[in-house]
Amino acid sequence: MVSKRFVLKRLLLLVPVLFGVATFVFAILQLAPGDPARVIVGQRASADQVAQVRSELGLDDPILVQYGRFLVDAVQFDFGDSYQISKGTPVREVLADRLPVTIELALYGQAIGILLGVPLGVLSAVKQDTLTDHATRIGALTGLSVPIYWSGPLLILLFATYLGLFPTSGRIGSTTFLPDHWTLLGVELPLTGMVTVDTLLLGDLGAWFSAVHHLFLPAVTIGVYSMALISRMMRSSMLEVVRQDYMRTARAKGQGAKITVMKHGFRNALIPVVTVIGIQFGSLLGGAVLTETVFGIGGIGTMLVAAIGATDYPLVQGAVLTFALLFTLVNLGVDITYSYLDPRIQQ
Amino acid sequence: MAPEPADTAGRTTRRSALDSLRASPFLSQLRSNRLALFGIGIILGMVLVALYARFVYDFGALADSRLGGAVPSRAPPSWAGGTARTGAFGTDAAARDIFRRTLYGAWLALKFGTITVAASTALGVSLGIVAAYYGDATDNVIMRTMDVLLAFPSLLLALALVAIFGAGLWKAVIALTLVYTPRFARVVRGAALKVLEDEYIDATVALGATDPRVLVRHVLPNSLAPITVQSTLNFGLAIIDIAALSFLGFGAQAGTPSWGLMLARGVENGLFTGKWWMSFFPGLFLALTVLGFNLLGDGMRDALDPRMRDTVD
Amino acid sequence: MRAARTADRLRPRVRLVGGALLVGTGLGLLGGGAVAALLSVRVVRTVFAVGALALGFGLLGWSGSIMAGRGIETMHRYMDTGSNWTEASSRRAMARVGAAGAGVMLGSGLVDAVLLG
Repeated sequence: MVSKRFVLKRLLLLVPVLFGVATFVFAILQLAPGDPARVIVGQRASADQVAQVRSELGLDDPILVQYGRFLVDAVQFDFGDSYQISKGTPVREVLADRLPVTIELALYGQAIGILLGVPLGVLSAVKQDTLTDHATRIGALTGLSVPIYWSGPLLILLFATYLGLFPTSGRIGSTTFLPDHWTLLGVELPLTGMVTVDTLLLGDLGAWFSAVHHLFLPAVTIGVYSMALISRMMRSSMLEVVRQDYMRTARAKGQGAKITVMKHGFRNALIPVVTVIGIQFGSLLGGAVLTETVFGIGGIGTMLVAAIGATDYPLVQGAVLTFALLFTLVNLGVDITYSYLDPRIQQ
Repeated sequence: MAPEPADTAGRTTRRSALDSLRASPFLSQLRSNRLALFGIGIILGMVLVALYARFVYDFGALADSRLGGAVPSRAPPSWAGGTARTGAFGTDAAARDIFRRTLYGAWLALKFGTITVAASTALGVSLGIVAAYYGDATDNVIMRTMDVLLAFPSLLLALALVAIFGAGLWKAVIALTLVYTPRFARVVRGAALKVLEDEYIDATVALGATDPRVLVRHVLPNSLAPITVQSTLNFGLAIIDIAALSFLGFGAQAGTPSWGLMLARGVENGLFTGKWWMSFFPGLFLALTVLGFNLLGDGMRDALDPRMRDTVD
Repeated sequence: MRAARTADRLRPRVRLVGGALLVGTGLGLLGGGAVAALLSVRVVRTVFAVGALALGFGLLGWSGSIMAGRGIETMHRYMDTGSNWTEASSRRAMARVGAAGAGVMLGSGLVDAVLLG
C-alpha cells in the first residue's frame, strides 16, 4: 500500500521544483536579448517612453529586488500580461485556456503509446529472434526515425485530405458550440476544457464523437513515437528479467519454463518501463509542441512557439513553468504507481 | 576490445590501437549485421547526394523565389501530372524545384549534423575524461549535472536555449550541442573508468607514464568504439532536432533549402489542398537519413564489447 | 540526545551547502566587480542570471533526484547496467551546484545594489 505520508512527502517536493523553475525562468528573461520595455512599446517608441515603461516594470530596481518580486509573483502563477500574442490578457488566463488542450493530446498520445507499445514489446521478447521480433524491432526503429512533423502531414494527407475519413485540423466540428459550464443535480460546475471529457459531461454524444474524431490523428501521430520507445524498452526489460530468473528456474524446473518465467517476470519487467514512461513524458511534451503545430491545435505548445518567436517573455515564462509542473506531476504519479509495483521501495 | 598485454602497453601507439580495433570482433560482427550494412548504404548514398548537390547546384538559385518565370508554382512532379519543367519532385509555392532543394537539403543536414555531433563529442569527451580522472567531488558535480541535463527533454531544452540565443541555424547548432554534450560525457566517463580500472594502466603508470600520457595514449583510443557508437546514434537525433527547430521557425532562415523549413512550407501551403509533394519528398529524405544512422548505430551497439555496451545510451 | 543526533546529521549538510555558498558569493563579488569595472554595470546582471541558472538547476536536480531517484536506481539494478548513479550522490552534487549558484547571485546582487544605490 502507498502511505499518505509517502504521497505527502512527494507533494512537498513541488515546492523546490517550483522555486527552481521560477529561478530558471527568471534567468532566461535576464539572459534573453532585447529590452522587455522595448518589446512592449514597440520599435518606433521614443526613448522616454521606453524609460517610463522600464520604471513601471521595475526594471531599474536592484536585481535582487527584482528577483524577490518575481518569485512572489511566480508562486501565484502571476506573470503579468502577455506582451504580444494575446496583448493585455493575463498570462494566467491564457495558460488556463491552453493547458487542457495540451494535456488532452498528451494523455491520449501516451495511452496509445502504452497500449500498443507494451504488448508489442512483450510479443517481441516472447518471440525473440523470430520474424515477428525482427519486424517489430525494425518497425520501432523506423517509428523513431520518422519525425512527427513528417508523419503528421502524411497522415493528414492520406486520411484527411484524400480519403476524407478524418478532419484535417481543429478540435471539434465548427458547428458545435459548448457552453462554459455543465449542470449536475442542479449545480452549475465548470467544464474541464478537454473536449472529449466536456462533451460527455454535457451528455452530447454527437459532439463527443466529433471531438474524438478530431483528436484521433494527432493522438496517433504522437502515440506512434511513444509506442516505438516503449516497445523497445519493454522488449529489453523482459529479456533482462528472463535472463536473470530463467537461469535459476530453468535449472529447478527443467526445459519449457521460459514462457512461465515470462508470465511471472512481466510485473518485474514493467518496473523499469514505468520509469522510462515518466522520464520520456518530457519528450512527449516536445512531441506535443510539434504535433500541435502540424495539426493547428491551439495548446501550450503552439503558444510557446509563437511566444518565443514574438519575444513575448511573460508567456514564455508561464509556458515553461507549466511544462515543468506537468512533467513533475506525471513523474510523481509514476513514482506512486511504482510503489504499487514494487512495495519494497517505499521505506 | 581486449586489454593489451602489460608488457607492450607502455609502447602502445595510435596505430596499434587501430590494429587492435581491426582485429577485434567489433568489425566482423558489424559486417555480419545486414541491417547495419543497409544503414551504411543509406548513409553513403546520402553523402554522395549531398556532395553532388553541394558542388553542382547554386545555393542562390535554390534559395531565391522563381515566381514569374516559365515554371509554374505548386506544380506536381513531372510524372504525376506535371510537365517536364516541374522536375521529378514538383515545385513549391515560390516555383522552386523541390528535387534540387531536397538534394541540397542533404548537404545542409549532414553538414550541420556533423558540426553538432563533433562539437558535442569534443565537449563531452573533455568533461567525461576530466570527471573520470579526477574523481571525487569534481566527478560527482560534473556527472550529476550531466544526468540532470539528460533528464530534460531535448527539444524543449533546445527551445529554451533558442529563447535565450535567438533564432538561426548556427544558434540552433550551439543550443543542440549543449543539449547533447551530457550523453558523450557519460559514455566517455564510463569507458574511461573501465580502462583506468584495467590493470595495464597501473602497469603503465608504474613504468613512468605521466597523467596526460595515460589519458591520450590509453583512455582515448580505448574509448573510441563507444564514442563512435554514441556519435552515430546521436547523428540521427541531431538531424531530426535541427530540422525540428527549422520547422518551428527557429533554425534556417527563410528561403534556405533545409528539410525542416521545406516541411514547414509544405504543411503551410500544400497540406489541406492535397499538394503532397511539397512535404513528402523532404520528409522522406530526412527520415531515410535518420533511419540509416539509427540502423547503423543499433548494429554498432550490438557489436560492441558487452562491457562497453552498458555505457552507451 | 535526539537533538544531538540531529545536529550530527545536519552538520555535514550545512558544511557542504555553506562551503559552496561561500565560494559562490566570493565568485559573485569578484566576478560581478570585475565585470562592472571592465565592461558595464548592466553586465553584472548577466553574472547574476548565470548564478540563477545554477541555483534553479541545482534545485531542480535536487528535487528530481529525490523524486525519480529510487526509480532510476531500480531501473539500473534491473537492467544491470552497472551504473554507479545513486540518489545520495546526485542530491549532494546538486546541493553544491545550487548553493554555489545562490552564492553567485548574492555576491553579484550586492555589487549590483551597491553600484545602483
